[in-house]
This record gives sequence, C-alpha cells and structure tokens, in this order.
Amino acid sequence: MANDHLKRKRILLVDDEPELLDMVVSILQEEGYLQIKTAKNTAEALAACREWNPEFGIFDVMLPDGDGFSLFQKVREFSDFPILFLTARGEDEDKFTGLGLGADDYMVKPFLPRELILRVHVILKRSYRNESNLVYLKACALDFDRAEIIRNGEHIALTAKEFELLQVLSRNAGRIVTIDMLCEAVWGDNPFGYENSLMAHIRRIREKIEENPSRPESLLTVKGLGYKLLMEDVR
Amino acid sequence: MKSILKLIKRFIVTMLFSLVLLLFLNFFLLLLISYKQAANHGAWSSADTVASALTENGDGTYRLSAQGEDILSRTNAWAILVDNETGYILWNSSNLPEGIPTQYSAASIAMAVRGYINDYPITTSGYGDDLIMLGFPKKSYWKLISNTFDYDFIRNFPKTVLLFLSCNLILIFFVYMVVTSGVLRSVKPVIQGIEALPAERDVYVKEKGLLSDLAVSINKAAEKLRNQDYQLQKKETARANCIAGVSHDIRTPLSMVLGYASQIEENRDLPERERKKARIIRQQSLRMKNLVNDLNLASKLEYNVQPLHMDTVNLVSLVRQTAVDFLNLDLEGKYPIEWVAGEDMQNCCAKADKGLLKRAVSNLITNSQVHNPDGCTLFMSVGRTEKMCRIVVEDNGTGVTDEELEKIRKAPHYMVCDRETGNQRHGLGLMLVRQIAEVHGGDMEVSHGKAGGFRVVIRVPGTE
Repeated sequence: MANDHLKRKRILLVDDEPELLDMVVSILQEEGYLQIKTAKNTAEALAACREWNPEFGIFDVMLPDGDGFSLFQKVREFSDFPILFLTARGEDEDKFTGLGLGADDYMVKPFLPRELILRVHVILKRSYRNESNLVYLKACALDFDRAEIIRNGEHIALTAKEFELLQVLSRNAGRIVTIDMLCEAVWGDNPFGYENSLMAHIRRIREKIEENPSRPESLLTVKGLGYKLLMEDVR
Repeated sequence: MKSILKLIKRFIVTMLFSLVLLLFLNFFLLLLISYKQAANHGAWSSADTVASALTENGDGTYRLSAQGEDILSRTNAWAILVDNETGYILWNSSNLPEGIPTQYSAASIAMAVRGYINDYPITTSGYGDDLIMLGFPKKSYWKLISNTFDYDFIRNFPKTVLLFLSCNLILIFFVYMVVTSGVLRSVKPVIQGIEALPAERDVYVKEKGLLSDLAVSINKAAEKLRNQDYQLQKKETARANCIAGVSHDIRTPLSMVLGYASQIEENRDLPERERKKARIIRQQSLRMKNLVNDLNLASKLEYNVQPLHMDTVNLVSLVRQTAVDFLNLDLEGKYPIEWVAGEDMQNCCAKADKGLLKRAVSNLITNSQVHNPDGCTLFMSVGRTEKMCRIVVEDNGTGVTDEELEKIRKAPHYMVCDRETGNQRHGLGLMLVRQIAEVHGGDMEVSHGKAGGFRVVIRVPGTE
C-alpha cells in the first residue's frame, strides 16, 4: 500500500484519562498504526517528545500539571511535528486558541472513532507526502514539484490556477471541497461570482487528467456543493 | 422632567387661585367692617335729633324732650345752643363739663366744627339760625381736621388700587419663584433619580439639601436593585456554568462509550446481532452528545453568557460547508444532500455569528438523520427575499404529523417551562435552532416538506 509509510509514523497520545488513552490506542492500532506511545501529563509528554521524537501528536488540553496549549508551545520550541488537539473543551474560544497557536486540527470530545481516523490520516498525508511529491490518479500522476501531469509517459503542464485547485483538492483527497473554498483558494477573499470560471477550470483539468472528461472518475462533481478528488492510494 | 413642569403648573394655578380668594375675602371683611363703621354717622344724626327735640318755651328758655334726653344720656354727650348773633350759649344740657367756653366767635365755631372743644369731639346741627353743638366724651371719636382730598387722587383711585394690586402680585410672584426654584433645585435630582431607577441601576442622588432624606432612600433603593440584579446575574451565571461543567465532564466518558461502541460495531468477527446492539449504543451516545452540546449552548444563550461574534457571513458558503462536512463523514452514503440552487442565491450575506449559524444548520441536518435512521435525502437551499435571507433544510424522510408540527411550533422554551418538562424530550435541537435564529433577529418556521418529509426554514436579516 502506498500509505504504509504513514502507518509507521510515531504517534504520541497525551491525555490524563488512562481508559481514554487505551481506547484511542486501540482505535489507531486497529487502523494499522504501529508505533504509538502515551503520556499522562505534560512532563511525560515533553520527555517523550525529546527522547522518542514523535512524528504526530494527539494532545488533550486539560492535563494535571498544565494545559495542552502551553505544552504545544513548549514542544514547538524544538520540534514541528503535526499536532491535533482532542479535548472536552468545546467552546469556540478554546478552538480559536488551539488553532490560532498553529495546531493542525482541533476535535471536541465525544468523537466518532472514524472521524478521528480520517482527520489523522489527512494530516499525516499532508505532512508526510511521498518524497517525490507524486500523487497517483486513475488515469495519470500529478507531479506537484514540477506542476505537471504525467499521462502515458507524456508531460502536460498545469496553469497556475489549475495547479492551485489541484493542490487544495489533493490536500483534501477523498473529501468534498466546497465551491466557495476552491474559489477562495484561487481568487482570494472575495470569491463571489467566480463559479462559472471555476467550472471552466475544472473542465480543463478534467481534459488533462481524465480518460474521458465527460465521465470523470478522479475529479467528481457533488452537484451544487463542490468537488472531490479521488486518489488511487485512498481507500 | 415632565412631572416637574406639571408640578410647577399646578403650583402657579394654586397660588393664583389663593390670591383671588384672598382678595375676595379681604373685600368682604372690609365691607363688613365699614358697614359697622357706617353706624358712627350716629354722632352727627344725634346732633340733628337733639336739635329737633329742643323747643323754645317762649320766655327765652328751652326744653329738651325726653327723646333728646335719652340720646344724650345714651351717648354720654353734652349739648349747647349757640346764639347766631351774640355767640353766647342760649341753652345747655345739664351735664355740661366745666371749662367749656360760654361765648363763641365765628373762628372758634369753625374750629369746633372741624375738631374739638377742650378735646371733646364735636358734632353740630342747625337750630333755626342758631347752632346746636354736641360734645361727646373724650376719645370716643377721632375727627379728621383737614378733611379735604385732592380730586385727582379720588378720580384715579381705581387706577391706584390696580397699580398697588399688580405691584403686590409681582412681588408675591417673585418671592414665590425664588422659594419654588429653591425647592425645585433640591427636588430635581430626586425626581431624576426616581425616573432613572426603572431603566438603569447606576443611580446616585447627592444626599444633601432640603430632601436629603429622600435622596438617601433613593440611593438605598438603587443599591438594593443593583444588589438584586447582581444576585440574579450570579445565579444565572452559576446555572450556566453548572450546565457547562456537567456538559464538559460528560464528554470524556461519552467518548469512551462512543468509541468502543463504534469499534464493536465495526468488528466483523462478531455476530451481526451483537454489532447491531453496538450500533444502537453508538447512535444513542451520539444523541447524548448532541443533547449535551445543545443544552450547553442553549443555557448560555438563555442566560446571555454566550458572546456573539457578529461578522458579515456569506450564507451560501456557510451552508455549503456545513453540508459538505456532513457528507465527508457519511461514508455509507445514507444521507445524500442535494443542493437546490435558486436564482436568488446571489448576495445572501448576513450579519451573523458564523459558529452559531453553522451550529443551527448542523442541528437541522442531525435532526433529519436522527429521525430517519434508515437514511433519507436532504434538500438544502439558500435564498433571499427583500430584507430576509433564508436557509431551507428539507428531507424526504418520515416527516411529522400535524399534531407534532403544532407542538413544535408552540413548544415553550425548555429553560422557561417548568411544567411538562418530562414531555419535552424531543426537539431540543430544534428549539436551539429557533433560539439562534432569534438571537440574529430572525425566526424559524417548520412545515411539511414537498417530498413528504420535514422542512425547516431559518430566516435572518440580510445585509445590503
């Protein structure tokens, strides 16, 4: 599997509830993640960060000897592995604090295991892309370093806007991205009235990446809402 | 301040009325007294009576009738008859005091008529060409010796009285104004304080001057109200905090229930029957999760401890994002969402709290999912009619009966309702949607969907 390298990433779980730690460990293990370590407080977490050098962190906010936000800041002083906050603090203010610090995601308990898995997967994939930065689709491969498509050995260049759109879509591979988000990514903060232009760009992308542009298999339309890019390595 | 004006008006009317009353009273008293005074004319008429009661006997002597004697004795007066030619006394009453001159010149007669003889006040009457003079006891009458008045003065008398009266009136009014404005100055802050009490709590009246007692009472009342407000606020905050605390503490245990139930549900090694049970546990835990979230937010909105982050929000983008968030999690595809595009979709911007509004739309989607466990299609749209923007969430699921619809429409707020709370297990999520719409100055409407399911419209005021 193309994702095997992600399943081998070292994941550090920080939470003061041992039962919850056990559960998250079992959720991740069942999903195939192999290297998981747990910490019950900030001291243990910091020690683990220094010694074990984790590649992904799931942090609780309320810890017995401090809070997850300051733990995050301490960790950031020497490491920049992706971190997701998983906490019972569901207030908007807390969310803004967490995401404002630069966390990769913020999830509020109680959570669905599937949602956690999906989010962890997206973050890992975004953070640890294949070294070659190649993404495989049904009919072609995307080379983000060179901003081109490799199809049947042929190299097709992408325009700047096509490149930006494909980047946003691949970052959220397997998930629907709204029309508004795509417009915003390409045309900036005031993306009204660009829907028709977006459709034109999508059509041109399809001509480049799809076997049959009128019957897309990789870049799917979700009518009225947005688009979804399916990658070959996504289940 | 209206009341102060009213007060002044009433004061002035009362004063004018009392002045008029005073005038009439005085006039009446004057009349009464001068009527009594009129009786004093008797001094002169006594002289006339004595004159007519005197008869000459023919031999140079005179006789006073009993009537004349009677008058003299009643008034304690003496009488003399002065001869016109000689000025000598022709006759005198028996009680003539000593020292009364016996002869009178024209000058002394004139002086006597104007005034007194030896301090006895004199009245006169004619007896033929002769003169009758009556002398009354000393200090029984006071006579005006120079009894002439300037004619102009008499003629202008009404004018003079009027001038006097108006001068007096002006003086009284001035004095009144000075006194009243002094009182008003001390009343004004008190009245302002009382007027301000119902609206604001930061009322303080300076505790000095005429009405310092009142000011103290008002300040006490204001403090009491402030205290009550504070206590109430404290209680409400405590209640909201309590709910927030409970909903926070329940999240971790609920995570575990949800997590393990999901794992059991997805474990293909277990028999289908057991996995189905786990699914029910997961579904019910999810309901609990939503309930806890809703309860927390609802209590915060109700007790005004939820800060609103108002911003210009593009509703189309917000609703799309919410829909997509659900679609991305719905891997089984049990709840497809169809976007119903309308022509009025442009310019659907509103001043709103993005998080709250997203929550409202999420609640509607969750609501459809919870009530249609076997799946349904959701239809969502955003539109605008004049000033209001609307968000429509509709499904083709089982829907509701007319009775249930009516119940949802009329359901009181569960935070307010203290009866029938047992019957309000449903619709907490919907109530919250209504609450959020109302916080934004809009409303929520529920009805039957076109495809037989449930339809909810959220309306919020749009921006220009």
